[in-house]
Amino acid sequence: MSTMQNGSLKNIQQREQRPFVESFEKIPLLTAATTFIGFYLILLMGYVSSIIFTPKVAQERNRKGYVPLYDQFESFYSRYVYRRLKDCWNIPICSCPGSEVTVKDRVTHDCGWTFEYTGTRTTCLNLGSYNYLGFAQASGPCSDAAAVKIKELGCATASPRVEFGTQKIHQEIEALTAEFVGTEDAITFGMGFATNALNLPSIMSKGCLVASDEKNHASLILGLRLSGATIRVFKHNNMESLRKLLHNAVVYGQPRSHRPWKKIFIVVEGVYSMEGSIVRLPEIVQLKREYKAYLYVDEAHSIGAVGPNGRGVIDYFGVDPKDVDILMGTYTKSFGSAGGYIAGTKAFINHLRANSHANCYATSMPSACAEQIISSMKIIMGKDGTNEGRKRIQQLAHNSQYFRRKLNQMGIITIGNNDSPVVPMMVYMHSKIANVVRRLIKRDIAVVGVGFPATPLMEGRIRFCLSAAHTKEQLDYALTHIEEAADYLGLRYSRKPRSKEIVTYEEVGKEE
Amino acid sequence: MLVGGHGYSNPNANWLDNRGLWLSYGIGFLVLHLTLLSIPVLTTSTAWTLTNLLHNLFHFVFLHILKGSIWDTQDQGRSRELTQWEQIDSGMQFTSTRKFLTSAPVIMFLLTTFYTKYDNVHFIINFVSLMFVLLPKLPQFHEVRLFGINRY
Repeated sequence: MSTMQNGSLKNIQQREQRPFVESFEKIPLLTAATTFIGFYLILLMGYVSSIIFTPKVAQERNRKGYVPLYDQFESFYSRYVYRRLKDCWNIPICSCPGSEVTVKDRVTHDCGWTFEYTGTRTTCLNLGSYNYLGFAQASGPCSDAAAVKIKELGCATASPRVEFGTQKIHQEIEALTAEFVGTEDAITFGMGFATNALNLPSIMSKGCLVASDEKNHASLILGLRLSGATIRVFKHNNMESLRKLLHNAVVYGQPRSHRPWKKIFIVVEGVYSMEGSIVRLPEIVQLKREYKAYLYVDEAHSIGAVGPNGRGVIDYFGVDPKDVDILMGTYTKSFGSAGGYIAGTKAFINHLRANSHANCYATSMPSACAEQIISSMKIIMGKDGTNEGRKRIQQLAHNSQYFRRKLNQMGIITIGNNDSPVVPMMVYMHSKIANVVRRLIKRDIAVVGVGFPATPLMEGRIRFCLSAAHTKEQLDYALTHIEEAADYLGLRYSRKPRSKEIVTYEEVGKEE
Repeated sequence: MLVGGHGYSNPNANWLDNRGLWLSYGIGFLVLHLTLLSIPVLTTSTAWTLTNLLHNLFHFVFLHILKGSIWDTQDQGRSRELTQWEQIDSGMQFTSTRKFLTSAPVIMFLLTTFYTKYDNVHFIINFVSLMFVLLPKLPQFHEVRLFGINRY
């Protein structure tokens, strides 16, 4: 049964298999007020200190008579807010970001203006990388195959696809991707962000309407803006809001002339990486059929990570791939490589081959990345003859559910869908985000904290990304220390009843 | 720092719309007021007038004098010449935040006139300070700069 919150439609055929459970608990009022007070204080202190002291970095030499390079007010945030917490981000790593990552330790002696390496390195448990299926390994069948391919095909093609950049391996990977996703054809690009930003302009133009989810990624927003289409935003994963938008679009047409729109697109993501929510695909497909819109699904975080066979949200919901007009995804997250793809009908992909900016001007994917994708995709599909792919998919599912349920039992607010591999833990205040990151680093756990302006003001969070490479012991270790941090900082904000049942970890392989 | 890539080209426009503003504003005001009340030299009337004046001063400086935002926004510098008040909700008038921020000085003024026992001198001072804060908030004064003050 889909939960009735967030506006789901009434008469949609319910999937019998898995219940769709998503939660977006709101911040308690007192916490919101104290978060605001925290912001006032930091702004006030920063403002006072910016008036009294000029920092070393702002003193420009030999510039007498010139206008200052940086307006003091515009650099306020990065100098007086971000600088105080700067040691929590951009930490250099010196190993492959698998289930463990080696970070280079650094200290700051002047409150974040400069950093110094201590010379030591720490191996930390990695809860921040999008390493969903654990393919970020420096050794193993994928990396060995990729190394062999470099000897065969070279490090880079140094040419766009339409010139000299198409190698046989590109055709191989496109065929394999099309088979993996279940469409007729696919086209690949060297960069995931560019796949969105540079292809949306070739798909839509002025006179088209795009219904875009509130929390869409920056690459989608950039691509939509570049295309010149009219963008209307609907509330995150809210089907009533989308229905109203589509209804009004069809009824009223274009703004002043009331002519019908050339095309109407719905642009959503499979799994939203900041919220950890999964798109309501069956309902969107029903809406799209009703209002004759086209559907574009960005499966960057869901391909390989959700679904019983790892084929993404299509697989998860059991939707026919032909219902989704344009399937986009990236190879960065679950396949341990780089690049993106767009999959669809043959006619559409042929159009992209001729009209896509990325195809015509951007360098094609290097052969090593392509080979990594081919070997990891074959493992996931089971084509290498082993059970490895299935085991990884199940391990990821078990890890994410176990972790989320344990966190909820502690009373910590986690948002998003129960089945998503991304688990955001709400912490709200910037000082708490920094404190959690610092405490966990000291205890050898590397996590990612996100605050304003990357997230809404009242939704500062620590975002855990689970991986198939994590073992139960590692997760338990992390959970113990997270519970310690929760006690120290008061992170048990949840007002929902906490279940007392013992959360067991289902071992992979026992199901078969 | 590059912000606004996620759809809001200027995060400064919406940051006051969030939950918790009203309560935190009230708490901040209360702390200010109680601090002033606890200074033994001041009478209640003076404390109230001082609170009102300081509150309106903060309001005026932070909302109507400070321009631009604390990041490099993605709106090609359109918000660099706008005061914080003009940026709220991207110029849309009569939203909840604007109504709250307009009514706060008015309520403060009414309370102050009551607690100063309707004394004439206090009234004039408080009224002048209220006008300083209320006039810039009128929709007619949107992007108006009198005598070229604070234009750039």
